[in-house]
Amino acid sequence: MRNKSAFIIIIILLIICVMFALTTGQYHIRLETLWKVVSLKLLGKTPGDGLATPSMVLWSVRMPRVLMAILAGAALSVGGVVFQGIMRNPLVSPSFLGVNHGAIFGASLSIIFFSKSAFSIESFAFFWAVAAVALVYIIGNRGVNTITTLVIAGVIVSTFFMAAGSFLKYVADPYEDLPAIVYWTMGGLNNILWVNVIRAFVIIGIGITVIYMFRWRLNLMAIGDEEAMSMGVNVNRARVMYMLFATMIVAAGSSSCGIIMWVDLIVAHISRMIVGSDHEVLIPFAAILGAAFLLFTDTIVRILPGGEIPISIITSFMGAPLLGYLLMKQNNEWKG
Amino acid sequence: MMQNDIILAVEHIDFRYREKKILDDLSFSVHSGDICGLLGPNGSGKTTLLKCINRILKNETGSIRINGRDIATLSRGEIAGLIAVVPQELNIMFPFTVLQMVLMGGNGRFGFSGIPGRKDYSDAIEVLEELSIDHFAERRYNQLSGGEKQMVLIARALFQRSEIMLLDEPSSHLDFKRQYTIMELIKKITADKNLTTIITLHDPNIAGRYCNRLIMLNDGCIVHQGLRDHVFQAESLGAIYDMRIKIENTDSGAEYVLPDYIQ
Repeated sequence: MRNKSAFIIIIILLIICVMFALTTGQYHIRLETLWKVVSLKLLGKTPGDGLATPSMVLWSVRMPRVLMAILAGAALSVGGVVFQGIMRNPLVSPSFLGVNHGAIFGASLSIIFFSKSAFSIESFAFFWAVAAVALVYIIGNRGVNTITTLVIAGVIVSTFFMAAGSFLKYVADPYEDLPAIVYWTMGGLNNILWVNVIRAFVIIGIGITVIYMFRWRLNLMAIGDEEAMSMGVNVNRARVMYMLFATMIVAAGSSSCGIIMWVDLIVAHISRMIVGSDHEVLIPFAAILGAAFLLFTDTIVRILPGGEIPISIITSFMGAPLLGYLLMKQNNEWKG
Repeated sequence: MMQNDIILAVEHIDFRYREKKILDDLSFSVHSGDICGLLGPNGSGKTTLLKCINRILKNETGSIRINGRDIATLSRGEIAGLIAVVPQELNIMFPFTVLQMVLMGGNGRFGFSGIPGRKDYSDAIEVLEELSIDHFAERRYNQLSGGEKQMVLIARALFQRSEIMLLDEPSSHLDFKRQYTIMELIKKITADKNLTTIITLHDPNIAGRYCNRLIMLNDGCIVHQGLRDHVFQAESLGAIYDMRIKIENTDSGAEYVLPDYIQ
């Protein structure tokens, strides 16, 4: 019952965030205009003269950006929940396993040596993010009870990619390449086009669907390897499956939007506090809350006076103190 | 009394951790309906043996058969259908509720994606009712006392509906009275549910009182094994614990193990 009302509240919250995001910005669109433009589009009619500009702003700029924020927010949060579950640690996030530093390395490679086109950066970032986690798995996997070695391998691989990324920044052209790299690492949804949305939708859609299908078994993974095995789970196969799809969705989010810090960790954590640890409800809840959270922060970033700033600055400013506060309040809960 | 069929047959198994031999050529069998106690000092290989039976650890040589099927040829799901485990003490990181913990035992029956249905929820509550702990179905497992946690883990094992139940020192964290109440419960469910129970124990008094079959280990080898009445003797217990032991009878006929002289 409590969970049901929590779901209703965040769904309403998400709808409000969507309407807020679609109407607010440098070009203000009134709610009734939004309604008209959307209904005309749904009916397949061309908007008249008065609606041409709002229609263009909505369909070419805001809609893809809003959808991308929803997709990336859901992907990062679900990724966070999955990694916390299989690592059995509520303070773990995908970045612990090298996703972010792998993505930064890939994006830098593309910017310096290949192309600054969004497609190229996105593909390189995605590939290297997945490669980093694969490397972590190869180095750290010890079969049963492998959590500690995986986390250590995550630190090793992250450090390596961080060093490689720093080296690339050092050799990068300081006038053209370096700002592009730095800007990309701070994250942002300002260059999102429909094509990005479609690509991300396919990858994130598949990833979240698979994770959602096997959501309940994550409960067993979160209890312990030997426990899960005793209850019939093929732990190694399950871990590879969850890691693969969680990495895929997080990498798809990061490669389209750059590095967005804290969303994974903070949303997973708050979701646990509200709906508990059962992944049956935790996965969909975190997906919706993450979508609303990222969409809200992205809209704030857009409308701040003085022009748009990278989104990671806001998510970190909001996320770090919030998590610190929760940790102090939740001290007893995690003692176990 | 006629002996039941052999349900578990262990033949010549070895287990080595790096260079050290932990289990050395163990052979024994357990009959259907037994409460089989594994006795032995710390480090004698009791827990390792339990893990081999459940195939968490893989024995290097020999075979472990359940109802004639070699467990090395079975999948994890098939093994879970035959064996349920009650671990010694389970602390978890996430605050799952008691009902969620019990439901996890049914994983093997939940189909491809492993999601419990409405009926599974009511079945799990039924198991909690049987053990008279349904009043804390919605409480968080982490917030329970040691004895209550143990009950939940037994409920989970029952919900798994396997023929064999393995328990690793179920009484070691419990107070004096609860050590006996938990053993009474284990005895009752073993009989009521037609289970076979294999249980590692530290206290020979509990083993002598509740087990009908005993396997005594020392340093990875079986020193004595057989029906309780044949092997529950001062000399055999003394041999595994390396101390002098005497067994005294009370007026009611119960036997009590007492340390006679500790070296």
